[in-house]
Amino acid sequence: MRRQFQPFASGGRRTIVGILVTFALFSALSVTLSIWTTKGSQHRAAVVEVAARQRTLAERYVKEILLARAGARVDPQQTASVMAASAGALLNGGTAPAVWGDDDETTLPAASGTVVRRQLEQERRLVSDLQATGSSVLAGRPVAAVRLRAHEHLKATSPIDRLRVLSALTSNVSLNAARTIAAADDQNVNHLIIVQAVLGALGLLVSLALGWVLIVITRRKTEHFRSLVISSTDLVLVLGPDGCRYAGHSVGALVGKDESALLGYGYEAFVHLDDRPALRSAAAHGGPREVVFRMRDQSGEWRRLESHLTDLRQDRLVRGVVLNSRDITERVELERQLTHQAFHDTLTGLANRALFRDRLEHALAHSERSGQRLAVMLADLDGFKQVNDSLGHDAGDQLLREVGRRFSRTVRASDTVARFGGDEFAFLLENVTNEEVIGLARRLLDQLALPIVTGGRDVALGASIGIVLHTAPGSTSEELISQADVAMYAAKDSGRGRYELYCPEMAKEVGELLEIEQELRLGLQRGEFSLHYQPELDLESERIVGAEALLRWQSPTRGLVSPARFIPIAETNGLIVALGEFVLRQACTQAAEWRKAGLVADSFVTWVNVSAKQLDRHGFQTVVQQALAEAGLPAGALGIEVTESTIIERGAATDHARAELADLHRQGVHIAIDDFGTGFSSLGQLRHFPIDMIKVDYSFVQGAEHDAKDAAITANLVNLAHALGIVAIAEGIESPGQLSSLQSLGCDLGQGYLLGRPMPPDQLEGFLSQRRSRLVDGKAVA
Amino acid sequence: MRQRFSLLGLLSVLAAIVVFASACSGGGQNAAGGATVVRVNERDFRITVSPARIHAGNVQLVVHNGGPDTHELILVRSRARLPLRADGLTVDERVLEHVTAASVDGAGPGAVRRDWLHLSPGRYELFCNMAGHFMAGMQAELVVE
Ligand SMILES: [Cu+2]
Repeated sequence: MRRQFQPFASGGRRTIVGILVTFALFSALSVTLSIWTTKGSQHRAAVVEVAARQRTLAERYVKEILLARAGARVDPQQTASVMAASAGALLNGGTAPAVWGDDDETTLPAASGTVVRRQLEQERRLVSDLQATGSSVLAGRPVAAVRLRAHEHLKATSPIDRLRVLSALTSNVSLNAARTIAAADDQNVNHLIIVQAVLGALGLLVSLALGWVLIVITRRKTEHFRSLVISSTDLVLVLGPDGCRYAGHSVGALVGKDESALLGYGYEAFVHLDDRPALRSAAAHGGPREVVFRMRDQSGEWRRLESHLTDLRQDRLVRGVVLNSRDITERVELERQLTHQAFHDTLTGLANRALFRDRLEHALAHSERSGQRLAVMLADLDGFKQVNDSLGHDAGDQLLREVGRRFSRTVRASDTVARFGGDEFAFLLENVTNEEVIGLARRLLDQLALPIVTGGRDVALGASIGIVLHTAPGSTSEELISQADVAMYAAKDSGRGRYELYCPEMAKEVGELLEIEQELRLGLQRGEFSLHYQPELDLESERIVGAEALLRWQSPTRGLVSPARFIPIAETNGLIVALGEFVLRQACTQAAEWRKAGLVADSFVTWVNVSAKQLDRHGFQTVVQQALAEAGLPAGALGIEVTESTIIERGAATDHARAELADLHRQGVHIAIDDFGTGFSSLGQLRHFPIDMIKVDYSFVQGAEHDAKDAAITANLVNLAHALGIVAIAEGIESPGQLSSLQSLGCDLGQGYLLGRPMPPDQLEGFLSQRRSRLVDGKAVA
Repeated sequence: MRQRFSLLGLLSVLAAIVVFASACSGGGQNAAGGATVVRVNERDFRITVSPARIHAGNVQLVVHNGGPDTHELILVRSRARLPLRADGLTVDERVLEHVTAASVDGAGPGAVRRDWLHLSPGRYELFCNMAGHFMAGMQAELVVE
């Protein structure tokens, strides 16, 4: 088992070891010094005792001489020899003999120190002089003849006086030698104490300094690494030339193993086979800066980790590449889900209109190059509405799913089947001949004719199919689809269960487009257009914080026409620009009136829908500025709603639209993304765009109450918005249940029939003044 | 750099020596203050005085013990013969109390002691009164004129 690499512990450990070693060194030095210093003092007590004893011996010797001379039986020679032997032992070391039989022989070391040795030498000389004089006295020889060696010039003439003087001199020098030895000892001890104190202080200082230096060095070295590892909650791996050198706790927790299991090449067991070479290469080369790889978590699922690499191979402490990884599995999954959602019909799983258009555009581009033919087919189920009405929505949904399955089975794998909503299906067929297309249309009708069991009944359906073959270059996808639509209506007109191939005459025959277009122009002049306003409420305080302006067309011939009907037509012929200007001016004027009347707070925002076509026209900004200026409305009271597709992936047009919106945003105009969650490919793209609000599409909102998936997506969208600092508003709230679901999901604002239908301005004024008291209260509190 | 450091060190050491030396010598002159310096050397068992003949006035006594034994020094205006105690080994200092001019305590070998006195004319005896030392020859004479 490899040892866990511990970048922080090693520094601390080294510091502690350094301090301990320093202490040990100084302690050893101190003890050595103590031993060395005290070694000489070991026999001091004995030395002092023997030195002091000499005085007694000298006096005793004189007494014994006197006694002996008086005839007593004493042996002064014995005393003299003990005294001489002791003096010799004191000076040069050796055994000092026992005296009086009651003490033991004493072994002495040789005297050290110049002063002591000189005094002991003098003592020896004096002992010798004393002994010589004593012997002369005993022998009756004249004492003046004794040759004295200790430089004494004795004044006394009597032998006894001479003896007593010599004895006193001997005693004196013996005691002084003993004192010198003791004093030297004291001095040694004093020195030792000072040396120990100094050593101790030095040791402490050096240890502290060393510790400090080590800490500073270690900290400096680990600072960078620390910032990488500590500051993030990321999954941290350090990969070196011999595999993983360090694995953070969170990585261990992810794979459900102790981190030590990841060391060396242990980590590779958890890394996806396809990703292992990338990691090895990253470890070997210190790059690239970003790596995405998969790791198997403890439940055996692959987690997708996005790693940021920091090359610390040259760092002595790390010697590897540091990977700071984030688990992006959920994010990728959400993106995938949303992308799928954006391009697929949730009911049947078929492509939706957006994906169909995308494929059609690609196919068109391809066909222009290759010259291959392609065909677009639209099929509208006959009699579906009746089934839906009589058997219920569930039966209708079941029916649509089955139709989708049958259509998918019938076409070639390379063909695209889409559901455009309701009971309308579309087909994109590439590289086909007329005959093949017609054959397919027949087969589709045959499939539908087979009964479908739903709601306990056999249902057989028919369909009207419109076909357009793309032959003339230069047609756009919109043109092809609308031509197929024309052909489909023609098929319906000529009796159900049929298919029709588009021909230009058809359009003229139908002519509706032109009619509507004409009526639109007239309608604008005659003032048939008006704005209705739908209130937007703060879901928490239930205050009205804004309104969406919705365009209405009351045609004298057609009655109330749905925007879904006339807006696409207006978009194809440029009328949308005039309509858009009308909406902007009208909304600004209205909002300014409300503000002047004190019906709305300063923060009240009036929202206007703007289409991609409007934005693409140069000078859109000027139109907005003029509308604001004419109405006297501050920019902050106006909001612009655009669809996701307007600002995403339309090439140069996107850039232009974005720039226009960014400019307006800078001037204070609010920007919102409409139908959010239905048509974008990457969440990341929103990050770089100035958005104040996203509108969560009504399809999620209506599912939020009962459908866990819709609720999860709504919650994710709201969280995403909040993460980006954006307000989230839910569209199409129709039931109290939906409202409370959205409130609990943390959605900021709401809009829908439950909270207020779109209404003419005078009606909204009533609505506002009804709530005005609450509004004023809210303001007062804030 | 290193050279400059050592040069600096050398200079500072030199400066210290000069300051120290001048302080010492200056101190000596000041302390002597015109006093006559009398150097007394003691050793086992002899005392020498230099100079042995001085003029009356202020005297600085500088006593050096050459060892090996410990010695003291007593300066008395002497009579002909110094009186001994009953033990016959030491001078009876009590009798000499009123003529004692200076008394320098005993010190080990190598010690230098100083004393400042005012000496009037007369004959002075210097001696060490450690047991037996006077009797062993530690006596000298100083004449003040
Ligand atoms: Cu003496």
